[in-house]
Amino acid sequence: MATLFFSLWVKRGTVTLNNQNIPFWGLATLATGPRLPGPTIKAKVNDNIRIRLSNSFLNIKQIGEPVGLMFPGIEGVMVEEWPAGNSRPVQPQYINGELVAFTDYVDRGSIFLPKGLIYKFQAKKPGIYLYESGVKSEKQIQMGVYGIIVIKPVGYNMPGHSNYKTAYGAGTNSNYDVEKVLVMGEIDTTMHENVVPEKNYNMLDFKPNNWILNGRVYPHTIDSDNNSSQPYGSRINCRVNDRVLLRIANAGYEAHTFYFGGLTGRIIAEDSYPLVSADSDLSYEKNGITLAPGQTADVIIIPTARGEYILYDRDYNHIVNEESFPGGMMTSMVAG
Amino acid sequence: MAVINLWAKQGYMSTPDGQSIYFWGYSKGAAEPAQLPGPPIIVKQGEAVTINLTNNLPEPVSVFLPGQTGVKVGSQFVKPQYSGGNLISFVNYASSNGGTVSYTFTPTRPGTYIYESGTNPHKQVLLGLYGGIVVRPEDYDENTSRTAYGSGTDTEFDREYLIIFSEIDPSLHQAVIEGKPYMISKHHPRYWTMNGRCAPDTMLPDNAPYLPSQPYGAMVMAEPTEKVLIRYIGAGIDSHPLHPHGNHTRIIAMDGRLLKNGARDRSFKRFTVLVGPGQTYDQIFQWTGLGYTLDNPIPTIIPNRRNLGIGEAGWTMWSGSPYLGEKGEIPEGVVSFNEVGEYHFMLHSHSEPKITNWGAFPGGMMTMISIYPTGFLSPDVGVLSQPVGKE
Ligand SMILES: [Cu+2]
Repeated sequence: MATLFFSLWVKRGTVTLNNQNIPFWGLATLATGPRLPGPTIKAKVNDNIRIRLSNSFLNIKQIGEPVGLMFPGIEGVMVEEWPAGNSRPVQPQYINGELVAFTDYVDRGSIFLPKGLIYKFQAKKPGIYLYESGVKSEKQIQMGVYGIIVIKPVGYNMPGHSNYKTAYGAGTNSNYDVEKVLVMGEIDTTMHENVVPEKNYNMLDFKPNNWILNGRVYPHTIDSDNNSSQPYGSRINCRVNDRVLLRIANAGYEAHTFYFGGLTGRIIAEDSYPLVSADSDLSYEKNGITLAPGQTADVIIIPTARGEYILYDRDYNHIVNEESFPGGMMTSMVAG
Repeated sequence: MAVINLWAKQGYMSTPDGQSIYFWGYSKGAAEPAQLPGPPIIVKQGEAVTINLTNNLPEPVSVFLPGQTGVKVGSQFVKPQYSGGNLISFVNYASSNGGTVSYTFTPTRPGTYIYESGTNPHKQVLLGLYGGIVVRPEDYDENTSRTAYGSGTDTEFDREYLIIFSEIDPSLHQAVIEGKPYMISKHHPRYWTMNGRCAPDTMLPDNAPYLPSQPYGAMVMAEPTEKVLIRYIGAGIDSHPLHPHGNHTRIIAMDGRLLKNGARDRSFKRFTVLVGPGQTYDQIFQWTGLGYTLDNPIPTIIPNRRNLGIGEAGWTMWSGSPYLGEKGEIPEGVVSFNEVGEYHFMLHSHSEPKITNWGAFPGGMMTMISIYPTGFLSPDVGVLSQPVGKE
């Protein structure tokens, strides 16, 4: 067991969608610009995770409103004031009896005043979890304040260990050769361009016009990693008969149906609850899976023939850029 | 070897409120109309299938077969098609205005599958280029072993129905015939279809002569205690919550995959089944009645008139009697379409705006399940067979 420390800021930045630069708010480390999705946090079961969220200290690109993080699916999250303060369980925040945030948050401050919160929890269950804004979530998550936590079982990286290369440990039918996290979402360009700090955006006007996978639209989804403020590519490279583990999360506000390119996959976990255990196999096969906002699913796909497969949102109105196919929420899997 | 011949064509479909809507569909013959949905493809596990597509439309069209493995064109597996580096189709296609392509595959698994165009799918599938595939298990025999997934899988059935759901935005269809830009961002459905028809046309028989492009009804007819296999396919881009009033079904398979892991039965019962885009759901439905017989009379009151209506005001399917096989008095001014004292209950989308035709109730994704008195229904009711088009 280790204690893992992550330091995150929420900053203003720009993403590129279909050759258009669009402002967004995202999570960043001190040295980098914001990312869409935010930095992936990787840990093992039993690790103690400490995530410090800062808002003002040395942050000239602050978004101009309070920030806070939620960790749906993770229990026992504590929070500690930074630089110094007592630990307490995270809880909804009220001002004069009115709910202002789902979670403890960091207020806006001056550039000279360091302010922050450390969210602390122990990684107990393997799986993939969204972490996302708990302050004005209807606005900030859309603006880009979300990311993924991947918790692996102990031994996943130790050859010979029974949990080696498994998502949920031995006996859960979750062993994989190739792993890929795919985060679905939407972006309303008009909202991004018109958002104002401290003002509520009228969500009745929310009308997304970009459908994103790991923060990008096709064909940029199949470009390499780490090339921009959208660092996560979605292209999957594998070999015939590999067990490809797709870890799909819906960070958007709408349901989406992720379709496996004509292939059939086996759903082995839902919301990070494995469906297979020693005495019960509740896994099932699908050609695509509909995920509501906030849901996740782990799917094992085994391509049995060489070739390229296009994986996409079966909501066919979401695989376009502007009005044209191809685009949006699509990627490519190449079995060599 | 099964040979299925399909043509991609333009056509017109009718809605109950009198609209005639331009669409693109698959057809089963060179001289036959485009149809919505395309002809069902009914084949057998392990038996090679060839699908020949002739494309009479002004852009490339394909037949994409999600869930089938080893689909080939010639000696090569189908693959994504690019033009100038841009993806134009998920699979090999037939070129515009007369092009052809032949797909071959051998279905390895029984079940219910979708087929649809993998070319410009945001346009072509929404315009109507979709249909259903039923793969019979190897040991299927219409007379002695009628199962969805093979003997020993607890999927026996007496009758079966295939119902394919979709949505229609007539203004997008209109844009295509007028040669105007197809603006998918403006997609706003006004009609919701079961087997290409909107209620109350869903309750008309198969091959109704005045619906030449929509040959398949969606009325589920059975007798008490019969096992009815209902195959749902979501061919649109929205999810639809379907339920039969006062009843439930047992979901035995999804996407053509039996819900069973070894000896572990994973099938489950639901009142409402959320039919998602591109996904299929096989269900066994059994109506066992409410426990009363003619020897066991219970007092009844005539239901409120507005609870009896279907279609035009004053139309009803009610028999006037709560007893199966008995007809009774019906209120004055009400026309009953009840034949022999059968019992009807609604099967519909519980997303209520979708049981309208352009906002007018009743319409859209609504049909009836009809339970007929024992011995009344002909054995040819609820039988799926390959229409002409298979050699
Ligand atoms: Cu209802």
